[in-house]
Order: sequence, then C-alpha cells, then structure tokens
Amino acid sequence: MSEQKKTFVVTRFDPDRDPAPRQQTYEVPVQPDWKVLDALNYIKDEIDGTLSHRWSCRMAVCGSCGMMVNGKPSLTCKDSLADYGSRVEVAPLSNFPIVRDLVVELEGFLEKLKAVKPFILKEKERALAEGTHRQSPEQLEEFRQFSYCINCMLCYAACPVVANEPEFLGPAAIALGHRYNMDSRDEGQHERNEIFRGEGTVFSCSYANECSEVCPKHVDPAAAINQAKFNAVIDWLAGFVTSRGGK
Amino acid sequence: MDVIRHDLVIVGGGGAGLRAAIAAAEKDPKASIALVSKVYPMRSHTVSAEGGAAAVARDDDSLEMHGFDTVKGSDFLGDQDVIQYFVAEAPKELTLLEHWGCPWSRNEDGSVATRAFGGMTTKRTWYAADKVGFHMLHTLFQQSLRYSNIVRYDEQFVTKLVVDGGAVHGVAALDVREGVVRLILGRAVILATGGGGKIFPFTTNGNIKTADGMALAYREGVALKDMEFTQYHPTGLPGTGILITEAARGEGGHLKNSEGERFLTTRDYGVGQKAELGPRDMVSRAIIQEIEAGRGIKGPYGEYVNLDLTHLGEDVIMKRLPMVRELSMLYGGADPIHQPIPVRPVLHYMMGGVDVNIDGATSLPGLYAAGEVACVSLNGANRLGSNSLTECLVFGARTGLAALQYAKGASGANDAACLRQAEEEAARVAGLRGKRGGERIAQLRRELGATMERGCGVYRDQAAMDETVHTTAQLRGRYGDLGLVDKSTVFNTELIAALELGNMIAVAEAIAVSAAHRNESRGAHARRDAMKRDDANFLYHTLAYAGYAGPRLDKKAVTLGVWVPEERKY
Amino acid sequence: MARPVHPHAMAASRPGRTRTAPPQAASGWYAQPRMLRYLLFDATGILYLIAGFGVLRALWALGSGEEAWQAFLDRLHSPLYLAFHALALVCVVFVAVRFFRLFPKAQPAHIGPAKPPPQPVILAGLYAAWIGVTLVVSLILAGWIF
Repeated sequence: MSEQKKTFVVTRFDPDRDPAPRQQTYEVPVQPDWKVLDALNYIKDEIDGTLSHRWSCRMAVCGSCGMMVNGKPSLTCKDSLADYGSRVEVAPLSNFPIVRDLVVELEGFLEKLKAVKPFILKEKERALAEGTHRQSPEQLEEFRQFSYCINCMLCYAACPVVANEPEFLGPAAIALGHRYNMDSRDEGQHERNEIFRGEGTVFSCSYANECSEVCPKHVDPAAAINQAKFNAVIDWLAGFVTSRGGK
Repeated sequence: MDVIRHDLVIVGGGGAGLRAAIAAAEKDPKASIALVSKVYPMRSHTVSAEGGAAAVARDDDSLEMHGFDTVKGSDFLGDQDVIQYFVAEAPKELTLLEHWGCPWSRNEDGSVATRAFGGMTTKRTWYAADKVGFHMLHTLFQQSLRYSNIVRYDEQFVTKLVVDGGAVHGVAALDVREGVVRLILGRAVILATGGGGKIFPFTTNGNIKTADGMALAYREGVALKDMEFTQYHPTGLPGTGILITEAARGEGGHLKNSEGERFLTTRDYGVGQKAELGPRDMVSRAIIQEIEAGRGIKGPYGEYVNLDLTHLGEDVIMKRLPMVRELSMLYGGADPIHQPIPVRPVLHYMMGGVDVNIDGATSLPGLYAAGEVACVSLNGANRLGSNSLTECLVFGARTGLAALQYAKGASGANDAACLRQAEEEAARVAGLRGKRGGERIAQLRRELGATMERGCGVYRDQAAMDETVHTTAQLRGRYGDLGLVDKSTVFNTELIAALELGNMIAVAEAIAVSAAHRNESRGAHARRDAMKRDDANFLYHTLAYAGYAGPRLDKKAVTLGVWVPEERKY
Repeated sequence: MARPVHPHAMAASRPGRTRTAPPQAASGWYAQPRMLRYLLFDATGILYLIAGFGVLRALWALGSGEEAWQAFLDRLHSPLYLAFHALALVCVVFVAVRFFRLFPKAQPAHIGPAKPPPQPVILAGLYAAWIGVTLVVSLILAGWIF
C-alpha cells in the first residue's frame, strides 16, 4: 500500500501542566483509505501516548469522536484523510469547555437534553396487555429522521447561537424534543412546547442552518427547530382558547 | 477517599445495564441505583447493532418454534429452562420498548414489522430500519432520564470489585476525568459490561469492548463459562471489521465467491434450504472454506467473498438497509445498489461469559451479570442473530429485579475493610500511571490479537490452540513490564488502555484454555482435528477459574428439557 | 489560532471537577464561505433599516407640497442613491433565494388533519408569488396599469 506523510497540528491541553491550550505537531505516515481517526490512533499508539481523545465504534454511530478538523466540525471516524491536504489541524469541538486535549465537557449538553423531556409522556401509561401502539409508516415518517441523532454534538460546535447564548437549548436537544412531539404515541406536546418557549427558547435560533450542514446523520435539526417554533406558537395561541390558559 | 453509597450498583450502561436500572428503579422508587459506566451510556456498543431483535409476533409463529430454533442454533448447549423463559418474555420486552418510544418499522396496518433472520424458521425479528441497536439504546437511555433514583456515574472505570466476608459490597472505580479512585458501595452489583471483541484483531466490536466485567468477576474467583464459543459474524468488512448486518441477507442478499457462484446453494455446507440465512457459525465456516479452496477474492486486507444486494433494487435498500449502504460506501468502497459488498467473517460476539443462573446471580453473593458479559446460558455454542438484543432486555430486567431483591435483604458492609481494599486499589492504579517499562500497549495488543486469530479463529486445531495458550500466558507476564508515558491525572486514556489490556489478556487466556480442552466441534467451536459433535463426552458447559499458573477448568451440566439433542442440519 | 466565544457556552450548571479551558471557536470563520453567507444574510438588515428611513423621507417630502416632492424626486437621480438601491436589490434577491431555500423544510408536518404541499411545490409557489408581485409592481410603477 502506498504511503504518504501528512502533518498534524493537534490541540493539546493538560490542566495539570498547561495554563492554556497549545498546539503540537506530528508527522504521520498515512494510508489512502484512512479516516482522520486512524491518524489520531496512530499518533496515540506509535508516536505520543499522552494524546487523549474519545472514540469507540469507528463506524459513525456512537458519536464519541466529534472534533474540529481544519476549522470545521467533523466526525473523525467518518471523514476521509484523503479529503484533506498535507496539513491537518485537529482541535476539540468549538463552543465546549475543554477538559483535556481533544476531550470536551459534555455535562452541559446532557442537562439540555434532560430539560426537553426526551421520552414518551402520557396521561395514563399504556398497559402491556394492550400490545403495541398502532403507528402507520406515514406517522413514523413524521419524526423518523429526527430520531437519528447520535449526540455527536457537531451541531453545537457549528451553531453561532450556541457560541453566544449559554441558555439556548441547542440543535440536538430541540430536535430530540421535537422528535417526541411529532411521535404519534406521545401526549406531552404542551409540556415540551412550554419548555421550548422558556429559558432556552427555540426562538433564539436565527436559522443559520449550520447545524444541518454539519450533521453526519442527516437529522436536519434546523428543520426540527423551525418546525418547533411554529408548533410552539400554535400551542401558545391554543392555550387562550382551551381551558389550559396561555403561558 | 470518597465513599458513595447506593442500594444497587450497575456496571455498564448499555442495553442490559440500562434495562436493569429501569427495572429496579420502576420496582422501587425509593431504591437508589448507581449506573457506573466507563463511557457515556449512548456510546455503549449496543448502539452499533443493526439487524433487529427477535420475539414471537406473528400468527404463524409460536414460543415453541422460537425456543426450538434457539436450542438448535445453540447446538444443544443452551440451557432449556433459560430459553423457555426467554422466548416467553421476549414479546413483552419488545412491546415495552415500543411503549417507551422505540421507532420499530411498521407494516401498512400499523403493526410492528418483522423480517427473516439467520437460523429462524419464520419472520420474528422486529427491526427499526437497520439501526435497531441505536434506537434501542437511545430509547432506553432517554427513558432512564425519567428516574431520579438512577444516579449516573459517567466515565468512571471500575477497576475492582470490593469483596468482604465472601460477598460483594461494591466497586472501586477510577474517575477517568479526575484520575482519582472512589469506593462506590452497593448491596448488590450487576455487571453489564458487554463482551471482549477487542481481543481479536478483526472485529465488529468498538474500542470499548475489552472484557472488563468478565475480568472483574474472574479475578474474584467467579467462573467464566463456555469461553471457547466466540462467534464470528459472516459478513464484516475486510480490514475494519465493520458489521454488515445479517438483515442484508434477511432481505434477500446473496453470498458469492470469486466465480460468481452462490456457494451456499451449490455446495453442501449444512445450511440446506436456508442458504444465506443459515446460522452464523455455519455460514462463517462456509466462507472460510471457500477462501481456503482458492475461490476467495483477493484484496488489500486479505481474501473475501461478495455479498450481492444488487438484485434487491434501490427501493428496498434505501428503505430497509440504508445504514448498510452508508457503511459499504464509507468503509467498503462499494455502493450496494450497483456493486457487491466485500465481506469476510469477523469476530462479533461472545456466547461465553460470567457464569450465572437464570436470575443473573453468580457464585459470589451480591454479584450479578446480564447481557453479553454473562453466560446464562441462552446462546449455548452459537447465538442466533437478533436474540442478543432481546437477551439484554429480558435478562437485564430479570437480573435487575433479582439483584434489587437481594440488596434489600443483604447485610451491610464492613466499611473499614472495604475502604482498605479501595485504597489499595487506588495505590495500584496510581502506580500504573506513567510507569516505566519495556513493553508497549499497542505492541502487546497486536500480539494478543495475532495469537487469538491463529488459535481461536473460525477453524481450530490442537497445535495452534496450545500455542495460543502458551502465548497468552507469556503476555500475562510481559504485561507486568508495561511502560507508559502519560503521567497526567486528568483524562488519562493511556492508563485506561493499560487497564483494559490487562483485562483482555486475562480473559483471552480463559478463552484459549477452554478451547484447547474441548475435543469436539460444536457451534462456533470448530476443530479440524475433531470435526464431529460428541454429546457423549462433551455435552457440558466449560467453566474456567482464574489460577496462578493459568486457568483451571471444570464442568457444569447443561439443563436439558423437551428438546432432545439431535444432529444439527438445516 | 482559535478565538474565544461566550465564556459560559455549553457550561454545566455545576462547575467541572477539573480545570477546563474556556470554550473556543475555530478561527477563520470569515474564511468559511457558508458562515460568511449567513452573516451577510443577517447583515442585510441594516440596508433595509436605511431603506425604511428613505421611505419615511419620501413620505415627508410628499406631505410637504409639490416643490418638495419634485426636489426629492430629482435627488433620486444622484449616483449615491442609485448605488444604494442597486445594492439593496442585490441583497433582496440574495435574501429571498436563501430564505426560500430554507422555508419548505421548516413547515410543520401537519396542522390538524391538513398536510402542507410537497416541498418542491412550496418552493415553486414562493418563486411564483415573488415574480408575480414584482411584475405587478413594476407595471404599476411604469404606469402601464393604474
């Protein structure tokens, strides 16, 4: 197999030793069919064992390996090295506090995810004896795409609003909340729409569409957020008409 | 040292771990349950399962049929009481998952759709396009967020079980981020850490599948059962080993050799009419035999055969196998609508694991296990595809409840003794960080993989297995001279890799020794020098106990039942 | 190198147990064509604000009598006004094209029992409406109708 060398400029940060993130350069012999992750693993295994990065499935489904590659959010197990030139800059995901090297703080995201109540809400739990719900393929289609989120957070790294408004729920969380709102089995739309109008408001989204551009699973969170805006308004208006009362 | 107290501690946040946590949390809202995982739960390897989960759903199906398929698939080594319980609970568990929001694919009339799968006599595999593991895991994880009594400890690596007075009282866990070891006390501990595919060089498994839970139990004197049965999935991509789901064959894909021949129909490989939907062990062996006969296709990562989906048409592929298409294009260089996918057998699953009974209880009071880490034994010598996701749910639930029950009645720990153990463990781990030595992690891992591939591959023989036994024992010694460079305390992944390597070597030794002593071919354990199944002498479960000079073996009877062992032909 | 973003971006509600480096964004945002297009899209709002003042000015002139109105119309011939309005036209087209592209997928999946038309139909409808209105207004301004 033919071999080629590429220069990797990798962000390093060890809170025990470094006052601030710095960059370190590595020369890596790369194979033509490698993804960016393969090069990072080569660096860790053969050149510098102190490099820390998250990865697991290497087939673009676990969402661990999101990083900035040449300034763009990338799922490093999915993006081919062949698409990049001889100099590759790898940095931790934008807009997240940095824990170590290429590892970022995820607790903020998990709080936002929990806040949208990402589970089926029902007045009365369905009994096991009633069997499965009937859900037609058309009903499934209404939310199917939004359920593909692997929580890789590339969308958060791309979103200009996330960069500037800490309370904003963010693309993935809103898309997952919207996914449940659109699921025919769910009865929690009003609760979630209140959350969508609340502190992390969906209306902070200015429809830059960056999230959908970078999403590796084609979830299209921008569509979800903007559909959610519409639904949130209708829910608010409906509140005046029904006995619930608007909020 | 920080001491944390909970009623129940679950190690591992995948399908089985989350299901156990939900079951226990639901049953007793006052019970406090710790879910300790070395990764965030949505990264667990359950996420990569593709094909489906089996449960009786159609009128032309029955529990007896599912049960018999499973027993026969296991080459009659599965425990029949376990299997009977499993097939009865399976539809309930998958229905429950549907209630929780799992987006099962549907028929036109709104009922859940099913597809054909290997070794199943009828369609009973519920599916969600071809991302069932992803949907199942995210549904379970999101559902678990409802329970305030499930407390998650994410990115905590359990390095030792804390055992006192002959019972388990908790775990010592290394906080990956902070680098400190904590004592997490629990009246019962459930291991749900999955299998150990990373022991092998070509595997569908991700980086995190390093047999941690098996090693934890093994080191405390619990037996590992049936370790020799390691399942090769017939269709993995060459090189990366990435899984191309059995569902591709379930929807009608064909396997062809270098001559374009559909060899499973033209030659006798024991799969009969089922052809591509034969059980995994038989199809894997067929592919290896084709390659050895010179009818494999040569590629940069060794030889392979073709999985041809071109006749299925764009509609079927885009609707039912979209992820297969994505994976083939991204990692296999082929678009299945127009080209065949290169595939070869790769290590996928471990039928063996921690020896548990039907409640998931081990021989060590307070210690339970469920999911791939356990050997209950549902799958015997060979697992049927789509049974393991259901297994995670059925036995995750049962074990969660059983462990909770035990925890309620269990006596408290001797805190001082437990703390002492945890502090010793903390010192051991600290000593490992950045330690000097001549061996390198990557090198030892490579050599481990190479010897396991040679000795415990699809086809085995005594000489190769003995060599592997010897090599794994040597690696155990060489591990002591491991040299590390990362001295940082914060998110030190080199330290984690070193701990994982230790677990892999220990479990690999158990696999090799178990394999070397089973002098027959059964299920996934196929020997060139003992081609026949030998029920008279070998109808038992192998038990492997950790010993100073290597694993010590013992036997355990198989629970037979209505289904009498017969010749396994399809 | 990278540039800082809001110091609490994606922060957890409780401080992390180890010291973290503040969140950053990749530098060269201005060099990324997509991000630049988005920022320009938002920035065109300034032009519309100015154009809005221009309309108010025109109304004032209209209300101040024949001479004032004629003087205002004469000033519209100045190169500055022409350049400004040409730029505004470019911006309107840019914004319309971008907005139309994003509009169809933001439609709700259903409102009660009613479903929206398929996305290509919505897109075609938007362009048809835009071109139609432009045509009618042009004809009015040119004096061909009304």
